[in-house]
Amino acid sequence: MEDKEILEKFANPDSRNLAFNQLVRKYQQKVYWHIRKMVIDHDDADDLTQEVFLKVWKNLENFRQDAQLYTWLYRIATNECLTFLSNKKKKFFLPINDVAAELSEKIDSSPQISGDEIQLKLQKALLKLPDKQRLVFNMKYYDDLKYEEISEILGTSVGALKASYHLAVKKIEDFLKQD
Amino acid sequence: MNIKHKDFNLSDLPKHNVYQVPEDYFDRLPTRIMSRTVAAPTRQWLPVQVWQTVRVAMAPLVLLVLFVGVFYLADKSQTEQQFNLANVPDADIVNYLTAYSTVESADLAELNALKRQELTADFLNVSAADAEAELEYYHLRDTDY
Repeated sequence: MEDKEILEKFANPDSRNLAFNQLVRKYQQKVYWHIRKMVIDHDDADDLTQEVFLKVWKNLENFRQDAQLYTWLYRIATNECLTFLSNKKKKFFLPINDVAAELSEKIDSSPQISGDEIQLKLQKALLKLPDKQRLVFNMKYYDDLKYEEISEILGTSVGALKASYHLAVKKIEDFLKQD
Repeated sequence: MNIKHKDFNLSDLPKHNVYQVPEDYFDRLPTRIMSRTVAAPTRQWLPVQVWQTVRVAMAPLVLLVLFVGVFYLADKSQTEQQFNLANVPDADIVNYLTAYSTVESADLAELNALKRQELTADFLNVSAADAEAELEYYHLRDTDY
């Protein structure tokens, strides 16, 4: 079902639930994986994905259609991730490296994470990046989003995003070459 | 792949998702989310279309309320002044005017008594020479008239 049709049906109280169910089915994987790559842990990603869709449910009626629906979803998911990681740092009074170390430990120990050595090392290298740079890298490298779309999601200029992505790639390559 | 090679590029690495989800996770997720939406009504203070119409209609209304408010307050203030003046006894008004009249007369008398040099120095705080030099600096021309 097209986004426009979903939005039209959502505006009608009789077909609202059906339309929202369609929306969740259409975008749940994109939203979940976007969050999962940021928070690493499945249970955290599961909670945040549900929170994102609840926010969508509450605010979809006021969604301005001058933006694309999926970039709006990404934006909400991104905000949830950044808030979650920020709270995690505040809650444990930990500097950023310790949260990164905790997430890195999960990559080693979680039964729901598996891959060959280089792939796991890449994930650990990503955790060395600042959160927003990691978001940019994930959206460009894994999700193949255009810079213009990422710009709409993060509210950052295309030039800054290009620079951020290339720096991220360089940092990761340097990290992978080190050990 | 040998990642220690100096020419290693990230683009050479195949993209692979290392994260997994429990079995049937994405089949069950929509139902779990839908069950939570039952308790969470949509946030709709005013529908967008209605709000846009109301917003346009409200602009002249707000201006009207402001105009009436300013007019009412100005009128009330003027009425209070008139009322307060009416309460002042005639004797006080006469005394006030007499005192004022005396002061003005005294000032004029003082001014008449001053010589030109003193007038310049005391009242304009500038010497006569400076005042003349200032005047010489500007040349009056016919076109100024």
